[in-house]
Amino acid sequence: MTHLVQVVILGLLLGGVYALMASGLTLMFGVMRIVNLAHGVFIIAACYVAFYLFQGPGWDPFVSLLVTVPLFFLIGIVVYAALFPRIEGSPRFTEMTVLLTFAIALIAEGALAYFFTGTFRTTDPPYKTDAILIGDFFIPTAQFYAAITSIVLLLGLWAFLYFTRTGYAVRATMQNRTAAQIVGVNVRRVSTIAFGIGMALAGASGSLISFLFPFFPARHWQWIAILLALIVLGGLGSLKGAVVGALVLAVLAGIVSDQLGPTWSPMTFFGALFLILLIRPQGLFGHQARVG
Amino acid sequence: MSLLELHDVTSGYGYGPDILNGVTLTVETGRSYCIIGPNGAGKSTLLKTVAGLLRPRQGQILFDGSAIGGTRPDLVLATGVCYVPQDRSLFPEMSVKENLVMGAFLERDKAVIAERMDRVFQMFPVLQNRLHQRAGTMSGGEQQMLALGRALMVEPRLLMIDEPSLGLAPQVADQIFEIIGSLADLDITLLLVEQNVLSGLACTDWAFLLDLGELRIEAPSDQILDDPRIRELYLGRQKETSRPSAPDGEGET
Repeated sequence: MTHLVQVVILGLLLGGVYALMASGLTLMFGVMRIVNLAHGVFIIAACYVAFYLFQGPGWDPFVSLLVTVPLFFLIGIVVYAALFPRIEGSPRFTEMTVLLTFAIALIAEGALAYFFTGTFRTTDPPYKTDAILIGDFFIPTAQFYAAITSIVLLLGLWAFLYFTRTGYAVRATMQNRTAAQIVGVNVRRVSTIAFGIGMALAGASGSLISFLFPFFPARHWQWIAILLALIVLGGLGSLKGAVVGALVLAVLAGIVSDQLGPTWSPMTFFGALFLILLIRPQGLFGHQARVG
Repeated sequence: MSLLELHDVTSGYGYGPDILNGVTLTVETGRSYCIIGPNGAGKSTLLKTVAGLLRPRQGQILFDGSAIGGTRPDLVLATGVCYVPQDRSLFPEMSVKENLVMGAFLERDKAVIAERMDRVFQMFPVLQNRLHQRAGTMSGGEQQMLALGRALMVEPRLLMIDEPSLGLAPQVADQIFEIIGSLADLDITLLLVEQNVLSGLACTDWAFLLDLGELRIEAPSDQILDDPRIRELYLGRQKETSRPSAPDGEGET
């Protein structure tokens, strides 16, 4: 029993970081109906930023958040403004975004491999292998800090969405784009900001996973596959769903890994994806999609 | 004095055909208008084009003398043109109160917003009782009241309402028409699209009859109601379309 609780604790800690990664992805889909296949590659790019800030000036990965968050917010604004308005009026907008972001992912992966090679990297902060003992339970320090940081950032996102004027506009656009337009929301502006926020969350995730998981450019395919499974489970476009999906699947993957061995752990995500599509295709907190 | 002028306006959806074919019409300040015509006539398209949700392919739209055709919807709204679409377009996950607050999105003065909300509650007391209910869980009639209330939060000069009676029980629809009829007292110029032609004409001063994207007839509402030829040609269809399930040709895209 103690052992199972230990596995669940580790799963929840990881789940917090997964939730941070997934929330950016689901926000982009919710506000703009963009399926951002490049989300993973931007997370890896942020890992490299954290890595070189650690190698060079010796910044702790948590300090690198001060760079990755604003930097990826800006990259998001530029990428959105440069590419997405061109396909905005398309009747197949979401399908177009899949192709467009797939292309972005390939190009960015190539560029990362060209500049940073395909070698496995990781940041090595001093607390990386430390652990805190609480009673019988052991809590890895790095994962604990990462989870706390994720929670703080997600609370920040929540406060932004529920207590600011722009946040109201973002939620309004998520719930009904036309309705947002007719009450005076500039949806182009809101979309640009939301894409920037999604990317800022990807940047933050990069700083955090730079010491949790070794990375190399092509690693992003594995991440995007897991993230898509998480947000489909939670319901595409639902932030609550992304957080719950991330926590549930991280814990499940932990249990599977513990019982059947780590090789089976990635299967958890795709098995869950398969099941949810069979049983409840709109996801836990999703709504039946409106076609058109 | 004319408030809204359309000059030879042509419009349609995406890459599709023209739905509105060179419509020219004038809306006078303080009057209420009902746009009638068969399905696919371009009634909803006209409202969406004025609201800025569709870009006119040709022609000019003047509101209070300045050109608004092809302008972003939020900028059109800022000039005082408010649009209530057929599907009501509420924010289903937000409460009644949040929906109303969103209605006044362009107004930043909290005192003004509170004052407007009080006025909306006077017209729709039911909304005040449901303040914290999620909009998506309300009945059709209550949702329509919320949509109208949210539109009034804008304090519009021109209010365009698309099919307010759609999907409502007859008694509830009558209640909505009564409220719409009383909007004239608030100095709001009204442009109403309604399939339920008799009720639509009864609560307005003036009527435009559209067919195949063109303006066919423009006359006082009571005159249209009394004209036997028009009754036969256009209002006769009333019986078969009085409870339309989904209007074809121009959907809520």
